[in-house]
Amino acid sequence: MWFFRAPTIVFGEDALSYLSTLPIRKALIVTDRHLRTTELPEKVSRALPEGAERLVLGDVGEEPDLDEMTRHLDQIRKFEPDWIVGLGGGSSIDTAKILFVLYERPDLTVYDTTPLQPLGLRHKSRLVAIPTTSGTGSECTWAAVLSERQEKRKHELASPEIIPDYAILDPEMVVGLPVEQTRNTAVDAITHAIEGYVSTWKNPFSDAMSEKALELILGNLLIVLKNPKDTAARNAVHVGASMAGLSFSNSQIGLAHALGHALGARYKTPHGKAVGIFLPLVVEFNSSACQDRFDRLNALFPSPVRAGSLAGSLKKLFGAMGQDATVAALGVKREEYFAALDELASMAAESTGLVTNPRDAGSAELRELLTQAYGEEG
Amino acid sequence: MAKFPSEEWVNAFAEKLNSNPNYEDAARKWEGAITFVVRKDPAYDKDAYLYLDLWHGKCRSAKFSFSPQELPTAQYTYSGPYTNWKRLINKEIDPIQGILTGKFKLEGSMMTIMRFTRAAKEMVATTSMVQTEF
Repeated sequence: MWFFRAPTIVFGEDALSYLSTLPIRKALIVTDRHLRTTELPEKVSRALPEGAERLVLGDVGEEPDLDEMTRHLDQIRKFEPDWIVGLGGGSSIDTAKILFVLYERPDLTVYDTTPLQPLGLRHKSRLVAIPTTSGTGSECTWAAVLSERQEKRKHELASPEIIPDYAILDPEMVVGLPVEQTRNTAVDAITHAIEGYVSTWKNPFSDAMSEKALELILGNLLIVLKNPKDTAARNAVHVGASMAGLSFSNSQIGLAHALGHALGARYKTPHGKAVGIFLPLVVEFNSSACQDRFDRLNALFPSPVRAGSLAGSLKKLFGAMGQDATVAALGVKREEYFAALDELASMAAESTGLVTNPRDAGSAELRELLTQAYGEEG
Repeated sequence: MAKFPSEEWVNAFAEKLNSNPNYEDAARKWEGAITFVVRKDPAYDKDAYLYLDLWHGKCRSAKFSFSPQELPTAQYTYSGPYTNWKRLINKEIDPIQGILTGKFKLEGSMMTIMRFTRAAKEMVATTSMVQTEF
């Protein structure tokens, strides 16, 4: 027995206008510091039903910790929203998810957000996610990532109850996404699709999502990077990223995410960049456990970036995109990195990604992958 | 062959845990006892309790009883009907998916458990190393 869980997905041109049809009286809009200065929060506000009150909280930082996520909780409780709207990338949408849990259930702590117990949400409000990046997949997933600065770790929270009620995928919301973020978030989405496809919890539904996600992303990503205003290509990558999110949310992440979270938490590396450094190495490591599946995915790569193996194709694609391929390229000093290797391996070992990775990895294997990831430089 | 559940089985399991390097590696920071609760169902007529005192990748002691009062209180319990335990030991159920699909119930600090999912996986994988008779 297993499940396939998904929000209602509203996608395509003008998808944002669907907000006006929802029975919203009081909307809390959670967004980030960068987006607050753009027209997007106002666009979302204008799309709300006539007469709906709104509270816009626009100070989510990059990869926030618990204090940052919950600093306005009292204000939110006083406002009493009946809909919570996460607008932005993974950080904003994950913050909206956590606020949703703590607003609905003040008796819980954020760490109660696990799939191992029922939360009993949706007595006061509903959740909408409007992504402004194409990669995190958070708009469609049961996951939320919480940074813990002091411990330099990322805590992986998950519950089927934090899957948004609606995911609104409007290409207008991503057409202005800067190239660097477009690249990093797309690499994250590619990683979701590949890890979801070979997870030990994979299933026919997640398989279908991964395959179509890769077809859409691989067929359009280089076009978007060349011409960021190409709305059709943007839309394809945007939909593909959500499908990749649906894949891993219903089958789970793997080792590239486990290692990427450890690296990202320590060096504040953008998430997509961090997982992208590990993905080709993890594919090589896993290939003995799922070669046929990797071959199937490799066949989806467009010929200019297709190599003889999936790992080879990923390296070729990431090279064509200008993506950093090693930890050394991030500017992390060799001595510092290798002194932290045990701690990084230990952090990665705590990730749920290890449990569903197709090949078992213990401390020795994690250390080896971390070592390889540093690269030749530095 | 050790009959499941029994004193003999829990001791054999503790022995297997203590000689499993994968479990030791995954649980080297784990501190806490767990009780496996086997609930009666049409295939087994009474509840049974298997207590494991787990510490830094080793099992310090193991106890069995049909009465929870006779055992120390554990920080965690993992419980399910006998038939589901049989399927788990035979590797027909994933231990975490087992919880998510309602076949098993886990009680204890979720925050801690979520950081030791690999240890949990290795622990359950070790059950199938015991020559078990049902």
